[in-house]
Amino acid sequence: MSNRDELIIRSLRVRMVEEKIIDLYPSDLIQSPVHLSIGQETVAVGVCAALDDRDMLFPNYRGHAFYLARKAPLKEFFAELMGRKTGISKGKAGSMHLAAPDYGVMGASAVVASTISHAVGAALAERIKGKSDRVFVAVFGDGATEQGAFFESLNFCSIHGLPVLFLCEDNSLAVHTSLDDRQSFSLERLSDAFGIVFFNEEAGFDPVAVFETTSAALRHLRGGSGPALLRVKTMRYREHVGPGEDFDAGYRAERTVTQWKKKDPLLGDLSRFTAEIALIRDEIDQAVEFAIGSDFPGIEELLTDVL
Amino acid sequence: MSSRTYRSALETVMVEALENVPSTAIIGQGVTDHKGIFGTTLGLHDRYPGRVIETPLAEDSIAGICIGMGLNGVYPINTHIRADFGLLAFNQLINLAAKYKYMFGGLFEVPLMMRMVVGRSWGQGAQHSQSLQSLLSHIPGLAVVMPATPQSVLASYRYAISEHKGPIVMLEHRLLYELEFDDDEASPSHPIFGSRLDRLGSDVTVVATSIMVLEARRAADYLADFGISVEIIDLHSTSHYDKEMILTSVEKTGKLLVADTSWTFYGVAAEINRVIAEKNPRLLSLPSVSVGMAPAPCPTAKSLEDLYYPDVRVLVNEVAKLHNESDGHSVPLPDSESMVDFYKHFRGPF
Ligand SMILES: Cc1ncc(C[n+]2csc(CCOP(=O)(O)OP(=O)(O)O)c2C)c(N)n1
Ligand SMILES: [Mg+2]
Repeated sequence: MSNRDELIIRSLRVRMVEEKIIDLYPSDLIQSPVHLSIGQETVAVGVCAALDDRDMLFPNYRGHAFYLARKAPLKEFFAELMGRKTGISKGKAGSMHLAAPDYGVMGASAVVASTISHAVGAALAERIKGKSDRVFVAVFGDGATEQGAFFESLNFCSIHGLPVLFLCEDNSLAVHTSLDDRQSFSLERLSDAFGIVFFNEEAGFDPVAVFETTSAALRHLRGGSGPALLRVKTMRYREHVGPGEDFDAGYRAERTVTQWKKKDPLLGDLSRFTAEIALIRDEIDQAVEFAIGSDFPGIEELLTDVL
Repeated sequence: MSSRTYRSALETVMVEALENVPSTAIIGQGVTDHKGIFGTTLGLHDRYPGRVIETPLAEDSIAGICIGMGLNGVYPINTHIRADFGLLAFNQLINLAAKYKYMFGGLFEVPLMMRMVVGRSWGQGAQHSQSLQSLLSHIPGLAVVMPATPQSVLASYRYAISEHKGPIVMLEHRLLYELEFDDDEASPSHPIFGSRLDRLGSDVTVVATSIMVLEARRAADYLADFGISVEIIDLHSTSHYDKEMILTSVEKTGKLLVADTSWTFYGVAAEINRVIAEKNPRLLSLPSVSVGMAPAPCPTAKSLEDLYYPDVRVLVNEVAKLHNESDGHSVPLPDSESMVDFYKHFRGPF
C-alpha cells in the first residue's frame, strides 16, 4: 500500500471511531463531554506518522485523534470513554484526559494551553539526563496561542534551544469565536520574534502534506537547531463539544466547511479500501463490546492514586 | 551542643540534592545570582551548571516546565522568593500537578518540589507577605509542609526529594532563616505527613505553624514562671498533619489555642477545630482560641504591622485566660517588644 493510502486508512480509522462515538452518544453510554476531531484527523495522523516511537507528545482535550494516531489501544479507549474500570485510566480520565505513556501520549489537559510547558520541561529533563535526538511535541489549538503560557514557553524553549515541536492545530475557532476577532498577531511573526523557525501547512486535509511538513520540521529539531513551530490549517466539522453539527447557530458559514470537505480524502472514493474498512469496523465493534462488558470502577478506586 | 541556622539547613539539603541525585535540578528566578535564594543556592550553579537553572519571569510556564521535568525523570526544585509570586503558578500546581496521578488513573507520577518563602516585616506589605498554606492544603494531591526548625527542614526535604513521588510545597518563613537552633530538636512524627511534639505540657495545648512555634515557645517559657504548663504541637505538615497527636493532647489538656501564620477563617485554625468538633467536641472544656493575622491585607506601616500579627503578648494573654478559665487572669504581660525586633536580634538559645 502506498504511503498516502496508509495515511488515509489511519485517518479513516480515527473518523470511524468518532462516528461510532456519535452513534453511541444518545445512548448515554458515554457520559462525558467529547471534543471531536472530525475534519482534523489528518493532522494527528500526518504528524504522528513522522514521529518516532520514543518521541513524547503532549495533547489537549481534543485528543482522540492523537491517542489513536499513536496506536494506543482502542479497547481501553472506549472503556475509558464509558467510565469503565478497564479504561486506560480506570475511567478517571474520560475523553478529555486521554493518556498512554507506553505510546508516548502524555496526559491531556482540559485547561487550554496548560500542557505546552510540559513538553518544554520534558525536553529540558532529557538534556539534563544527557540523552539526545528525542523530540517533544506540544499540541494545542489556535486559541491556546493567545495564552501567556504559550508565549512564556516559546521564550524559555528558545533560550535553551530545546527540541520541542510546537504544533498548532488551527481550525480558526475557539469555541464559537473566530480567529480574526481574537488575535492581533501573526503566528509566523510571533515565532520569528522568539527566534523560532516557523513551518506552515495550509493543506491540513492532506495527511501526506502534513507528514512531509512535519518531517521537515523534525529534521530541523533533530539537527539540534532548537524548537520549531508548526501551524497546520484544519477544519472542525462538528460543534466545539458534543456530537452534533451547529451551523444553525450562525457563528460560522457552512459554506467554508462544505468547500473544505471537497478536498477531504476521507470523503472521496474509498472503494479501494473495502477490506480495510471492514477490518476497522470489526475492531471498533469488538472494542465497544469490550467496554460495554466491563465493570464500572467502585469505591476501591475512589481514593487510590491521590498522592 | 552544636547548632545550626534554618538557612544553613536549607543550603545543606539543596547541596545534597544535587550531589546525591544526578537527576535533580534547582530552577527559579535568582537561583544563580549572588544572593542565591537568601544564601541557600549560592555557588551551586558553578558546581552544577546544567542543573541550576535561572529562569525568565514566567512563574506559570516554569511550573509547567517542572511538571514536564518530573514526568521525564528529573526532580525539579522550583523556588519562589515570595509565596505571593507562587500564586502565578497555581494553575499548574492545582489544575495539573495535584491531579496528574489521579486523573490519569495512576499512569504517571509528578515528583516536584516548590519552595515558597513567606515574607514578613520591614514593610513587606500586602503582596510580599502572604502565607498560603490553607489555599494549598485544601487541594487533594498536594503535600504542604511548613518546617519550623532546621531539623524539620533536613528531615522533610531529604524525604521529599528521595522518597515522595508527588508534588510538594515547602513554605519557608523568611524570619526563620538566620535563627540558630540546637541540634537536638524533636523530629516530626513523619517527615512530610506528620506533626511534631515540640514541648510536653499539661495545662493548655498550643497548635502552631512555622514561626508561630517559636512564638509559642517564648510564651510557654514565660508562662512556666507563673506555673502554667503549655504543650506545643508544631503542625509541620499542614496538608497531612498528625490528627492523633492533636486529639491526644487536647484530650489531656481540654484547652486549645491554634496559632497560625495566616488568617484564621477557612484556615489552619478552622481545620484543627473541625477535627476536634468531628471527633468529640467534649474534648474541650472551654471554647478554643484562634490566633492569626488580622482579617485584612497586610499593611506596610510598622505600627500597623505590629498590630496585624499576633505575638508573644497575645499568646501569653490568651493562654493565661484559658488556664484561668475566665476572661481575666493575673499574669502580667511581657514587655511589648515587637516580634520582628525580637527575632532580628535573636541568636539563641534554642
Ligand atoms: C484556561 C481555559 N480557558 C477557557 C477554557 C474553555 N475552553 C475550552 S476549549 C476552548 C477553545 C480553545 O480553542 P483552541 O485552542 O483553538 O482549540 P480547539 O478547541 O479549537 O481545538 C475554550 C475557550 C478552558 N478550557 N481553559
Ligand atoms: Mg481552534
